[in-house]
Formats: sequence, C-alpha cells, structure tokens
Amino acid sequence: MAGPAHPRAMEPPKPGRTRTAPPQTPGSWPSHPRMRVYTLFGLTGILYLLVGFTSLRLVWALGEGPQRFHEVLASFGHPIYVAFHALTLAAVVFVGVRFLSLFPKAQPANIGPLKPPPRPIIHAMLYVVWITLTVVFAAILAGAIF
Amino acid sequence: MRHLLLKLEPVIWLLFGQGIMIGTMLLTGWLLVVGIAVPLGIVDADALNYQRAHSLGSNIIGRLVLAALIALPMWKGAHHCRHLSIDHGGGDRDHIVAPILYAIATIGSIAAILAVVRL
Repeated sequence: MAGPAHPRAMEPPKPGRTRTAPPQTPGSWPSHPRMRVYTLFGLTGILYLLVGFTSLRLVWALGEGPQRFHEVLASFGHPIYVAFHALTLAAVVFVGVRFLSLFPKAQPANIGPLKPPPRPIIHAMLYVVWITLTVVFAAILAGAIF
Repeated sequence: MRHLLLKLEPVIWLLFGQGIMIGTMLLTGWLLVVGIAVPLGIVDADALNYQRAHSLGSNIIGRLVLAALIALPMWKGAHHCRHLSIDHGGGDRDHIVAPILYAIATIGSIAAILAVVRL
C-alpha cells in the first residue's frame, strides 16, 4: 500500500529554502506492527475526547446541587459507563507508558549551561511523579486523606 | 483556515502535550476511583458525597485540577483524532476535520471553565 502521503496536510504557507522529497507512505502501512501500535496510540484520542465530556458532565452536575450530582454519579454505575471507563483507563496507561518512554529521548543535549540527567533517571523520575500523583489523587477522591 | 491552523499550531501543540502529560497523570486516579471503584462499590460512595465533593472541587486548587482534568484530555483527543484522520487518507478533508475537532475541544474547554467557576 505504498503511496504518496498527503503532501499538503502540514505544508507551511511559504515554501522553505531547503528542497525536500515529497512525503511517502511506508510500504508496510498500515499492517506493520509498529504502524498498528501507532494507530492504536492515535485511537486513544477518541477516548480522551469522550472522557473529557463524561467528566464535564459530573463536574457540571456538582454545580447544580446534590440531587443532580448524585443522579449523574449513580449513572456512572451503568455497565456501559463502567466498561467505557475501564477501557479508557487501559488507554490512559498505554498512553502514559508510551509517552514516558518517548519523553527522555526528546530532551535536548544541553539546557543552557546544564546537561539534562541521563535518560534512565528522567524515565524513573517521570514514573515516580505519575505513580505518586495517582496514589495521592486516588486517595483524596476515595476519602482516605482529606 | 489552513494558514490559521498553522499559526495556532504552537498553542495547539502546547495543549496537546499537556493533555498527554497532565491529562494522563490526573485521569489515572480519577478513572480508578470515580469511573470504576465507586460505581462498583469497591470504594464507599460516601467518599464522594455532595458536601465532600463540593468542598474538594470548589477551592482554587480543586477548580484548577478539575478544569485541567476536563479540558486538557480534550485537546489531546482532538489533535490525535486529527492526525489519525490525516494518516489514514484524510489529508484532503483536513480543512474540515481539524476545525471541527478543535471547535469541540474549545467548546469543551470553555464549558469546563464555566463548570468550575460556578461551583
């Protein structure tokens, strides 16, 4: 399925000085395992977009009073909502793991006069932040603290 | 429209990046408790009774966290859906798809701000 990728999708308004070959879709697109994972990563966007609206629904109801808030919270017990939230949680973990593995590789060699820490240290620090934030936030929401 | 989107690309990228980073970090705990544990009875629903939920959400930190939790994932979602469309042969309709997706994220973000302001 090799073919020219859409050359104008991200084209700048004025052509640059450097001549470049037109973008080309890889021949293995979209069946190659790497491409499938890449597509899966993109598909998580649908879940992120939707979960933003389900969260908005609950927070909006919080501003409308106790009865409406408890109605919306109770609706989250519907199997479709639970399945959606479980699927979204899996997607969030997938995105997190993939993004945290990419983040250290995207660091510049130097930040001003300083060098960033080695990649494994950055990677570990990001996981510490993610896990700590998740535990603290979950504990607050579950009533274990505050 | 394409020219405007290219001009806005740094802002969109900022929101997209924060959607992945902050959105993912906040959504994990939120989905675990609000989306799964409370509905399944693993966590006592009284933990999210109205008075407690309102007092947590209505202070300045609570409002910021809730606004970020709602709005940033929408931008991550909109930008990823746009690129998924481009990658799967939708480059020709990007001038329609992109504005629609970003409009959804913008409306959702404004609604998120309104939702936390009225708490």
